[in-house]
Amino acid sequence: MFKTYFKIAWRSLKKQPFFTFLNTFGLSIGMAGALLISLYIYDEMNYDTMFADAKRIYRINVDIKFGGEARELAVTPAPLATALRSDFSEIEAVTRFRTWGSALLRKVNADANVKEEQTTFVDPSFFDMFGIDLLAGDRNTALERPNTLILTKTAAEKHFGINKAIGQNVRFNNDKIYTVTGVIDDFPQNSFLRNHTVFMSMLSYADSEIVNWGGNNYQTFIKLIPNADINDIQAPLRGFLGKYVIPGVQQFIPGVTEEQLKVAGDYLVYSTIPLTDIHLNSHRVAEVSANNDIQSIYILSFIAVFLIVLAAVNFMNLSTAQSLKRAKEVGVRKTLGSNKTELIRQFLVESGLITFLSLALATVMAVVALPFFNSLADKDISIPFLSPIFWLILIGSVILLGLFSGGYPAFFMSRFSPVKVLKGGGQSSVGGGNVRNSLVVFQFSISVFLIVSTLVVYQQLKFIQGKDLGFSKDQVLIVNDVFVTGNKANTFKEEIKQLGFVKNATLSSYFPTPSNRSDTTFKPEEGNSSHENAISMQTWNVDYDYVSTMDFKMVAGRDFNREVGNDSTNIIVNETAVANMGFSPEEALGKRYTSTLGEENPQYFTIIGVVKDFHFDTLKEGIEALSLRLQGQKNAMAIKLEAGNFSNSISSIERVWNTVAPGQPFDYYFMEDSFNDTYQAEQRLGKIFIIFTILSILIACLGLFGLAAFNAEKRTKEIGIRKVLGASIRQISYKLSLDFLKLVAISILISLPLGWFIMNKWLEDFSYRIDISWWVFVLAAVLAIVISIITVGYQSIKAAIANPVKSLRTE
Amino acid sequence: MLLQLNNIFKWVQQGGQRVFLLKDINLQVEEGEFISIMGPSGSGKSTLLNVIGMLDDFDEGEYSFLDDPIHQLKEKHRAKLYKEYIGFVFQSYHLIDELTVYENLEMPLLYKKHSGAERKAMVADMLDRFNIVGKKDLFPAQLSGGQQQIVGVARALITKPKLILADEPTGNLNSTQGEEIMQLFKQLNDEGVTIIQVTHSEKNAAYGKRIINLLDGRMV
Repeated sequence: MFKTYFKIAWRSLKKQPFFTFLNTFGLSIGMAGALLISLYIYDEMNYDTMFADAKRIYRINVDIKFGGEARELAVTPAPLATALRSDFSEIEAVTRFRTWGSALLRKVNADANVKEEQTTFVDPSFFDMFGIDLLAGDRNTALERPNTLILTKTAAEKHFGINKAIGQNVRFNNDKIYTVTGVIDDFPQNSFLRNHTVFMSMLSYADSEIVNWGGNNYQTFIKLIPNADINDIQAPLRGFLGKYVIPGVQQFIPGVTEEQLKVAGDYLVYSTIPLTDIHLNSHRVAEVSANNDIQSIYILSFIAVFLIVLAAVNFMNLSTAQSLKRAKEVGVRKTLGSNKTELIRQFLVESGLITFLSLALATVMAVVALPFFNSLADKDISIPFLSPIFWLILIGSVILLGLFSGGYPAFFMSRFSPVKVLKGGGQSSVGGGNVRNSLVVFQFSISVFLIVSTLVVYQQLKFIQGKDLGFSKDQVLIVNDVFVTGNKANTFKEEIKQLGFVKNATLSSYFPTPSNRSDTTFKPEEGNSSHENAISMQTWNVDYDYVSTMDFKMVAGRDFNREVGNDSTNIIVNETAVANMGFSPEEALGKRYTSTLGEENPQYFTIIGVVKDFHFDTLKEGIEALSLRLQGQKNAMAIKLEAGNFSNSISSIERVWNTVAPGQPFDYYFMEDSFNDTYQAEQRLGKIFIIFTILSILIACLGLFGLAAFNAEKRTKEIGIRKVLGASIRQISYKLSLDFLKLVAISILISLPLGWFIMNKWLEDFSYRIDISWWVFVLAAVLAIVISIITVGYQSIKAAIANPVKSLRTE
Repeated sequence: MLLQLNNIFKWVQQGGQRVFLLKDINLQVEEGEFISIMGPSGSGKSTLLNVIGMLDDFDEGEYSFLDDPIHQLKEKHRAKLYKEYIGFVFQSYHLIDELTVYENLEMPLLYKKHSGAERKAMVADMLDRFNIVGKKDLFPAQLSGGQQQIVGVARALITKPKLILADEPTGNLNSTQGEEIMQLFKQLNDEGVTIIQVTHSEKNAAYGKRIINLLDGRMV
């Protein structure tokens, strides 16, 4: 029996190559898209699950409001680790990271430095915590002594070779000498340590041993003993404020109590987050690695479901539409004694055949599209062809899809009354028009919604990129690691300023591009010791040329000026800072603040200028309080270039670099690029939106095209009559297209308010955002209409041109 | 003279050979005539009717309709001519299933420039004339075959054509219904409408004033 099912299914598919193609093609596009997205989501959901005890590992977070703005940190004080170990029997191990960013490494006897992008100090418990084995070296002693470090395989190979690395001495950032005591495997791409290549022993970092509850600089991870409940430690953990933090702060600000904090609306709350939740759910200051947003996972899941549903809807529509042609077959079969179940089975075999054909095609499509998708999503995903579970899930979902999309047509067709269809009742014998129409409305609603979303995402990105940031980011080249020139940094700067194409140059460690920075608490001179007048500000070390190079606007006071005298104890603050202090810009001038709290003779800084607010974080965040001062180390140089040939300019600058820092890597970037990188996630989202919008529109059009063809065929007779009775080709094609345009119009009415609502929700994430303008909706509507006219028009005109004599011939 | 066919040939290519559907047809039709075309299946009756109705092309010969040379006219002009002067009646009625009797009758008027009020008057006139006022809101499926064909004839007449072309108008009807339709034709002819009908039935053919016999595309 089944053999006949297959034979007949195969023949009827072959007999209608056009519909079979539309069905298979639409379905396989949907499947391929959904497959890629699913792999992406699977990858994202499995961050850090590779660590053996990942389920027992948590990170300590802290929410702080202590004068000034509330902040959510991923970093905690250094002594927290010791306190956790002594207070909780539930905790098996504690590991701190003190991330250090990029560092220059060189063999002690070599001249040239090699840059490592991500380095960190780490406690020796690191190995036990994450279950890490050493490829070389002794796990028990590798990080036990100061001035030792371990390398990942890649880093070890780069410097020494894996087998020769142990015992080698390297100079770290032109400073201390470290001994290599271990080599570990590289971390997988979906681990929070993916970009870290150098791990220095925590003992090398003296600050880690000081009991200071005031600074938050350490990512602290804990591992519970098996079967311990994380909820048991939450309450005592919150008690750390009274037990450790307040006594610690009292050293600087005597007399502070927990009650005082509460009264002022301030707080400090420790909490925990499971290691495996960090990648998608943590967006705190000072994350170890950049995280993704669970929202984008939701959006992608929706898109994947949309694609599959759209394709399935097509399938149902085309199948029921075709059933007119099959009606006679059903009638004959029923007359010859076939019952309903057998007919349903027959049609299900047919849809099953199509779904499996589509699966084969979809797999090919996915394989071809994978490299492109990987570069789009910045991933390293492969299709797990060798995993039986993958096949199980894939084939399982395809069978489900086949039943789901084939089910309705099968029941629909098996219901035909044999008497009616054999008499050739034509159109009236095949119903289901309303269901088909609502499915088309559904498809187009989704497509129009996606068009609106794409337009809004792109407008918002354009808005961000074009927004006046309060400074000029164009043509600014930043040279990193200027400190390797030793005391020649200023010479380097002066030589650079001599170059003809250089407008200005400035030394600083801080630039208005998003990066990790820390706040310092400042206290006014005339205030009492209560924290109420204290404000929290970032402090940027700059030089005399900073404000002019960055093109900041002064709103009060003056810029730093060599001629005026010594500005080293003066600061310039931004508008937000004076607002937090409670002054107008003019009032703030001359006020003195200090950041050295609790000492006999604090060093005071005098405000000499107020700079107009500029954006130095992503536009999702607001602007924070900021102060500029001349003191402190400056690690990088910003060079403002004249417009022109940048590659020539860069090689000239590199030549100067090689004279002041021979053998050191010349590392530079354009500020604008760094700025654009910040919005990579949004840009990626934008691109993904565009691609899947096009796909979903394509699928919807395939469906509409098929339906239009069916409709034209169904109405051949009517068209013939109308033509004979005097209708023109134009009138007929207009009438045929109008039926579909009505459906598209309904879809537009449904999806525009929906798009408006949902995209406004998305925009709420941005502190600076566009208002969705009316033309977005007009454009989306016009696009949908034009696309459907093109799709349906061809079929309508074809039907209208046909000779009526043929369609009216009575057999 | 209403129309004249001179040496009309129509053929199709089949396996490199010409198969003639119409062969050297010469026919003159005066206004007010009632002609019956007879012949066995496949003799070219319907083809001839379609050629006269300008629904189908011919390959050779001359055709003039009201002194217009059809063989030289463009599609657009031909369409204008038949819209104006010719009405069609079909064996299987060819009413539109989704439209009511009233709407079916109104349809040809939609494709000509008639105002809404005019259309209303003309449809009402037809409903009266054929005694189908009570059925105006019914759909074709709710009518008997004879009633459907009456609607078909009414629809053909509503544009006041000079010529009615009927392709086996009684083919799907029982004898009583067929009789009714033929009486209707006769009455119309008496009122001055020219009628050309294709039929298998000797009895129905006898209603015509002239009978043309076709065999293998040739007049005999």
